[in-house]
Amino acid sequence: MNRMIALLRREYWENKGAFRTTPLVIGGIYVAILLMLIITAVYFDTDLWTVKEFIRWAADRPTEFRSMVIYQFMLGSTVLFTFVMAIVTFFYLLGSLYDDRKDRSILFWKSLPASDTLTVASKLLAAMIVIPSFFLLALIITHIIMAIIGSLLVLGVGGDPWMLFLSVVNPIKAWGMIAVSYFAQSVWALPVIGWLLLVSAFAPRVPLLFATLPPLIFSILQSWFVFLQTFTLKTKLVGVIADWLFNSPIILTAEVHDGRGEIALGVPLKGEFDHAVTLTNIFDRLFSMQMLIGIVVAAVFLVGAIWLRHRATES
Amino acid sequence: MNPIISARGLTKRFGRTVAVDHIDLNIPPGRIVGLIGPNGAGKTTALKAILGLVTFDGELSVLGKNPARDRAVLMEDVCFIADVAVLPRWIRVWQLIDLTEQLHPKFSREKCLEYLADTKVTLDHKVKQLSKGMVAQLHLALVMAIDVTLLVLDEPTLGLDIIYRKQFYTNLLNDYFDEQRTILITTHQVEEIEHILTDLIFIQDGKIVLDSTMDEVRERYVELMVVPDKAGQARSLSPLYERELFGRHIFLYDRADTEQLALLGELHTPSVADLFVATMKGATTKGGAA
Repeated sequence: MNRMIALLRREYWENKGAFRTTPLVIGGIYVAILLMLIITAVYFDTDLWTVKEFIRWAADRPTEFRSMVIYQFMLGSTVLFTFVMAIVTFFYLLGSLYDDRKDRSILFWKSLPASDTLTVASKLLAAMIVIPSFFLLALIITHIIMAIIGSLLVLGVGGDPWMLFLSVVNPIKAWGMIAVSYFAQSVWALPVIGWLLLVSAFAPRVPLLFATLPPLIFSILQSWFVFLQTFTLKTKLVGVIADWLFNSPIILTAEVHDGRGEIALGVPLKGEFDHAVTLTNIFDRLFSMQMLIGIVVAAVFLVGAIWLRHRATES
Repeated sequence: MNPIISARGLTKRFGRTVAVDHIDLNIPPGRIVGLIGPNGAGKTTALKAILGLVTFDGELSVLGKNPARDRAVLMEDVCFIADVAVLPRWIRVWQLIDLTEQLHPKFSREKCLEYLADTKVTLDHKVKQLSKGMVAQLHLALVMAIDVTLLVLDEPTLGLDIIYRKQFYTNLLNDYFDEQRTILITTHQVEEIEHILTDLIFIQDGKIVLDSTMDEVRERYVELMVVPDKAGQARSLSPLYERELFGRHIFLYDRADTEQLALLGELHTPSVADLFVATMKGATTKGGAA
């Protein structure tokens, strides 16, 4: 356990910029956009008449409506974080078992009493737990700063931020839901994480190409065979990857639900799962047949990654 | 006493090339063994097999464990510096010390800081900011602060200046080495380690051509320096190797009759470097000296 923590700290030290600075920068962008909107409003409307009018309008709405809008806003604000987190995780994993082979520092890492399995596990846990935790934390900080700025603005024009929105939100519920969706996505993404670790342990150079070209070539060949045999679209690799992405348990898009626009899980183009952001829907995915197959595929990839890591110093 | 390293028919092939060719080794505790060989002789490959970094054929046991299978456990009692500096470039010195402390049950932070105090390395330095020599100093400080049974050093002082190299070997001998520990060193700077070695192993083309204690080496080999007109006589006593220096002929003999040789000229104990050259060149012309 202590060794695992030591190895996770090592991952953090090496990737501090990607793990910690990147989500903080995104939070900074959100705050900057909010401030720019406020400054623009002040610039054109010195008495802030429109802001006052908006507050009056909002205060007349029922509590549930305000609560719902803010909740939806909080869920929706994750999308940029999620998008960047996916990129960060992708490149982190590609480099995780490649960079130290490239610069030969693997000879130092292998001189420490940490097994190859433990090493690969530390990279896996960094991707599944450490990275989402940092992004979650930055998101929460961003929400708090935005709430403070919003409150100051409302106070500045003589309104009551507590009555208007602070008392109607349940931040724990929103953050909890986002957290569950993030970590559920970590599990959902296991086959992809496993694939990237395998490629990272294998690639003699340019892991990016080794990660993307084989599935691409495979898909093209498959499409060609399908064209020859008129197969169903579903079993093709592209179809499988699209299904995987569209059915993700992570907050990604919006959908029209009961006549209202609502933030949604994944991309609501497939009918297999309900895309409304609820715990039930998230766990439906985690306890599905697809997830089971995904875990088996991931296990094969991970065993391959560990085996390759074991043989990384062969030549 | 159980040997630290024992190998029977240790072999490593890379495709068609045989890097290590049926090596037998038996290294007891409390020795400082020099593994000497020309470039490409298989030194590093043999060390890698001992450290669990490559798979191999034949039998190999290090501290009673199979290194290919139990590397992680083995590394609690074995330390190594492989080839030139391989410390990760992004890491800071304090992080490296923290990490080693958490992963290595036998690491002493105090000792490490003590060794570092003699250098210009500070805790806040990143490895990539350090010169090659400073990286080597840092790595040596880390390794010498770990209380292990077997220390493997592959060209440990490459890139270090003479003062630090001398210092290093002095520390190694005085502070680090004791009868429980075994040190296995490869280096091309043979003359620097010859006075600290207890055992000598020469390796050539993946085979061991000499494996003996330093005491045996001193007893067995003798160097004779003669003036040119006695050279023919000396040559007839089947020397291992002959070279010329300032008009004198120098012959190296294995198990020769020293009284007979003393009549021809001056006798010396050969340096390991001269013995090495003689063995390597002699092996190609005379078919081995072991």
